[in-house]
Amino acid sequence: MRDTFLILKNELLVTLRNPFWIVRGIVQPVIYLLLFAPFLDGIANLPGFPAKSAIQFFVPGLLIMNAMFSAGFEGFSLMDKVESGFLERLRVTPVSRLALALGFVFETSVTLIIQSLILVLLSLFLGFQSNLVGIFVLLVLILLIGITMSSISFTLALFIREGGILAGIINTFVLPLMIISGVMLPLDFAPGIIQAISKFDPFTYAVSASRSLVTGVFSGGSIISAFIIFIVLAVGALVWFIRAMREAVA
Amino acid sequence: MSIIHTEKLRKVFSNKEERTVEAVKGISLDVQQGEIFGLLGPNGAGKTTTMRMLCTLLTPTSGLASVVGFDLHTQSKEIRKRIGYVSQKGGMEIVATGRENIMLQAQLYGMSKTEAAQRVTEVIDRLRLSNFADRKVITYSGGQRRIFDLASGIIHTPELLFLDEPSTGLDPQSRARVWEEVVGLHKAGTTIFLTTHYLEEADALCHRVAIVDQGDIVALGSPAELKRQIAGDIIVMGFDAENKIEEIRNLINKYERVKETQIADTSLHVFVDKGDQALPVIIQLLNQRGITPTTIQLSRPSLDDVFLKLTGRSLRESEASAKKDR
Ligand SMILES: Nc1ncnc2c1ncn2[C@@H]1O[C@H](COP(=O)(O)OP(=O)(O)O)[C@@H](O)[C@H]1O
Ligand SMILES: [Mg+2]
Repeated sequence: MRDTFLILKNELLVTLRNPFWIVRGIVQPVIYLLLFAPFLDGIANLPGFPAKSAIQFFVPGLLIMNAMFSAGFEGFSLMDKVESGFLERLRVTPVSRLALALGFVFETSVTLIIQSLILVLLSLFLGFQSNLVGIFVLLVLILLIGITMSSISFTLALFIREGGILAGIINTFVLPLMIISGVMLPLDFAPGIIQAISKFDPFTYAVSASRSLVTGVFSGGSIISAFIIFIVLAVGALVWFIRAMREAVA
Repeated sequence: MSIIHTEKLRKVFSNKEERTVEAVKGISLDVQQGEIFGLLGPNGAGKTTTMRMLCTLLTPTSGLASVVGFDLHTQSKEIRKRIGYVSQKGGMEIVATGRENIMLQAQLYGMSKTEAAQRVTEVIDRLRLSNFADRKVITYSGGQRRIFDLASGIIHTPELLFLDEPSTGLDPQSRARVWEEVVGLHKAGTTIFLTTHYLEEADALCHRVAIVDQGDIVALGSPAELKRQIAGDIIVMGFDAENKIEEIRNLINKYERVKETQIADTSLHVFVDKGDQALPVIIQLLNQRGITPTTIQLSRPSLDDVFLKLTGRSLRESEASAKKDR
């Protein structure tokens, strides 16, 4: 446990040393917030739009989307560590592979939470209204998504070793999952077939839970479903990553 | 007692898309406590792979090994506590300072924060790194960085230190500095297992060497022993490209003092008895045919000559072809 903390501390230090760390992670969601959300204003008045305003609709989904992509691309940082020999230098010490894996994953969790808080603050300036307890519960859900996505990304990085291929795989899977989850536009507007498929997309439940939570509604079925799904996925992905670290030839 | 013992240690890499590579084909060797042992050979010979197996970073495909008295297959944790390893890349986190880097390493070896800080300062002072220890690693010169790599390998006072190509890519001054520290560590009681493809360095510093080529040991012993296998002297002659080197070789082979000849690029290596007396005769032989070498050298055998004699290739030549393969 002490080793996990040491790795976590070192990773945070390294992240903080990079002056662009916060910009790098957050620039894309901010662009969505500033440029895409206003587009939604027009359709927010249409009948059947599920929220009071465009920003109220879009921000909860954006937070989930940020977790998917930000954590999903963490594999690149692990590739750098393999390439520089840093991982090997740690692997030859008696530190357990478990501690290494947890240290890397928790670091991505900490940065993800900070990013999410910044996004929420920015949104408040743009007229977003939120329930405080709801945001807190939502951060826990974001944490679970972050653990899931970064563990998967790290594991793929250990097996694949080639940045271009990793980026391709992540985009191929994460982008469609993001779109059909209803982040950008209400699912009610989608054709029946997409609505049917979206029932199999875990992120659909996360987005829907996120929208309930910020309005202070804690009772929806999607909240329970989202937590159950992502607790299972996070544990599964983390175990997969820990096993990959044990076997890695890195 | 031997600090490293291996029996038929073998490693096969199987890349899915490519063919399988038998990087190490069954290496058996013993390294004694207190030695500086060198693994020599051209690029791609399997040196790094062998070393990474011994450091518990790669699982051998087959074979046995014990390191610092523990079994490689079942007791890797015990081994890790007692060995140090400096990879070819070093593995420093470049946006952290050198001190922060080895501080992390010290703590991962189980030292408390105060113990670690003390030990880090001690190592920094001993290796004379204090001038730049608190700068980010990214600002270091190649030589400064390499000495810091060395510091990270000895932070926990290991019994056995593995160094993969400690001096490759450094300027001569930094190379000398690295070697000075390696010798210092050895004097302080550390057994050292290193790889290099600079044969002159191995000759000067290692007590014993194993020469590896294509995953196999082709020679093992002290540099002096290995060179003694080549009785006599060596004449190396360089020729212009237009000279037919094969013909010259056949001509020289007829002379009874010549024991063996080898071609390496545009030069001809001639192994002879009593080189000082043979040389004038050889020159005369060539002159009769109107051939004049561009350069001539007469020397005592080096480890490169040992390699040439055993594999039929010069180390520099196989280096060049290994690069072409990639
Ligand atoms: N992880 C790996 N996967 C596949 N092949 C490898 C791997 N590591 C090394 N090899 C191959 O094994 C051979 C020996 O490599 P290496 O041990 O690095 O040689 P050296 O250190 O002597 O230059 C080379 O042909 C190399 O391409
Ligand atoms: Mg090597």
